[in-house]
Amino acid sequence: MNGFGSALWVESLKVRRSKMLIGTVAVFAFIGIVMGLLMFVAQHPEISGRSATLSAKTSAIGKGDWPSFFGFLVQSILALGVMGFGIVTSWIFGREFSDRTVKDLLALPVSRFAIVSAKFAIGFIWNIALAATLLAAGMITGLALHVPGWSGGLVWPFLEVFTKSAILTILLCAPVALVAGVGRGYLLPVGFVILTLILTQLVGVGMPLAAQYFPWAFPALVSGAAGSALPHPGPASWTIYCATILLGFLGTVAWWRYADHV
Amino acid sequence: MNRVTMPNVIETHDLTKKFGRFTAVDTINISVRKGEIYGFLGLNGAGKTTTIRMLLGMIGPSSGEARIDGKKVSAGSLDIWKSTGYLVEVPYSYPELTVRENLEAMRRLRAVADPKAVDSVMDRLALSQYSARKARTLSLGNSQRLGLAKALIHNPDILILDEPANGLDPAGIVEIRELLTDLAQNRGATVFVSSHILGEVSKVATRIGIIHRGRLVREMDATELDRERKRRLLLGVRDPSAASDFLSQKGFRATLAENGFLEILDSAAIDKPDNINSMLVQAGIVPFMLKADEEDLESYFLRVVGSAGGAA
Repeated sequence: MNGFGSALWVESLKVRRSKMLIGTVAVFAFIGIVMGLLMFVAQHPEISGRSATLSAKTSAIGKGDWPSFFGFLVQSILALGVMGFGIVTSWIFGREFSDRTVKDLLALPVSRFAIVSAKFAIGFIWNIALAATLLAAGMITGLALHVPGWSGGLVWPFLEVFTKSAILTILLCAPVALVAGVGRGYLLPVGFVILTLILTQLVGVGMPLAAQYFPWAFPALVSGAAGSALPHPGPASWTIYCATILLGFLGTVAWWRYADHV
Repeated sequence: MNRVTMPNVIETHDLTKKFGRFTAVDTINISVRKGEIYGFLGLNGAGKTTTIRMLLGMIGPSSGEARIDGKKVSAGSLDIWKSTGYLVEVPYSYPELTVRENLEAMRRLRAVADPKAVDSVMDRLALSQYSARKARTLSLGNSQRLGLAKALIHNPDILILDEPANGLDPAGIVEIRELLTDLAQNRGATVFVSSHILGEVSKVATRIGIIHRGRLVREMDATELDRERKRRLLLGVRDPSAASDFLSQKGFRATLAENGFLEILDSAAIDKPDNINSMLVQAGIVPFMLKADEEDLESYFLRVVGSAGGAA
């Protein structure tokens, strides 16, 4: 791929220098810590005694032990991840239009395919790092607060589900990049991310049988986090999910390559 | 090698761009030869930037084509961009990166092997003192310099610049003018530079094209420009009527111009105003003012644009 290495270096420089990097890492670490603290509160109901909201939150966690904490972390990466990963993708692609720097990337000896691929690659790495941050912050907080029910045998299956959920959610950012191009900035893709989040909830609750055909519900179905009430994804779910990612990636490449950049 | 024998480096053939029913660029044919500085002149909204974006493959033409170094321009013309530097409209850089980092990023994207290219271009554009400054803190003039530095970092053979003097102070404008002249004359670079100020373009361009409402309405060598501009002799006398009659007898047509002055368009009078003065004095009509006047560049530009369909 012509100039991919150079494009990747430049994208990494932009990310390293941006406030978005430290900001998103801080937010994901904060979420992990808050998750751990909620486990602690669930173990000590006297703390939440006066707050109905806090009581409701902690009761949703379950027993307040490691198995329920692991489930809670998987749900967090599925729901909050869509939002966080989507915002990161919106920034990586949309900022070129908002900052009007895209024209510097269009007539270079580096192909536009390489530029777009480098952006996807750096977005994937960044989002994986955010998922790892949330995981590490949650685990460290849980261990520090002595959440009960720890078992070495639970960790690997949990890590597998968490990693699968994170990766499947991150890959769903491909259409967000396309929307950032078409919308020429951040606003439209962020709106798109919020819409997918709402639709996922609506489909999950209101049309459980349709969830298997809705790509944004797919990571929850595969990971099992959606619960046994929802159907397990079949070949059609996999096809729709993969087609959505492919459409997002190829659509973004095609848009950068063929659209008029006025 | 004279101009005619130099190969065409930038060419357009019936280049047209329509946005819906609006024709932004209408069947433009331009050829710029190696080593030329082509001044592309037009009012705001005339179609300069759309033409430049088509030359750079950022916009696909509705019909016609653009060629650079003989190769058809398209979004995938990677070979063309190796030797082309460009600046389109107001240059924007990554605000959170320093001047040096912005240039380093461009050096890598342009596959310039020599890391000293960054220092070298900063020296050339007087940016060294700002190398550690974040791009968002730069003044408009220095942002423009950074944009030019990005266009020049790989020592391109072809430069396509859209309003490069925007935001620069008078000293900066002179520097850029000298830089472009040096690139063309000493390095054989071909420069395509757009502007809406004829006075600016005429100081640097070897050839000038005027675009108006998407159409190329005039194209000329810079030397032709002087011939194209209206020249006149302005004459101030106490009795314009008597002077006009006298000059008419002598074969010069004098008409009343602004402020009661007489205007003579005859080049024999314009080139030798002293002869006119002598004749008038001998006839007892003593002029209190005699001035060979040349139409200024902007008036000429507006006249050309006006005859092509009125100023936008």
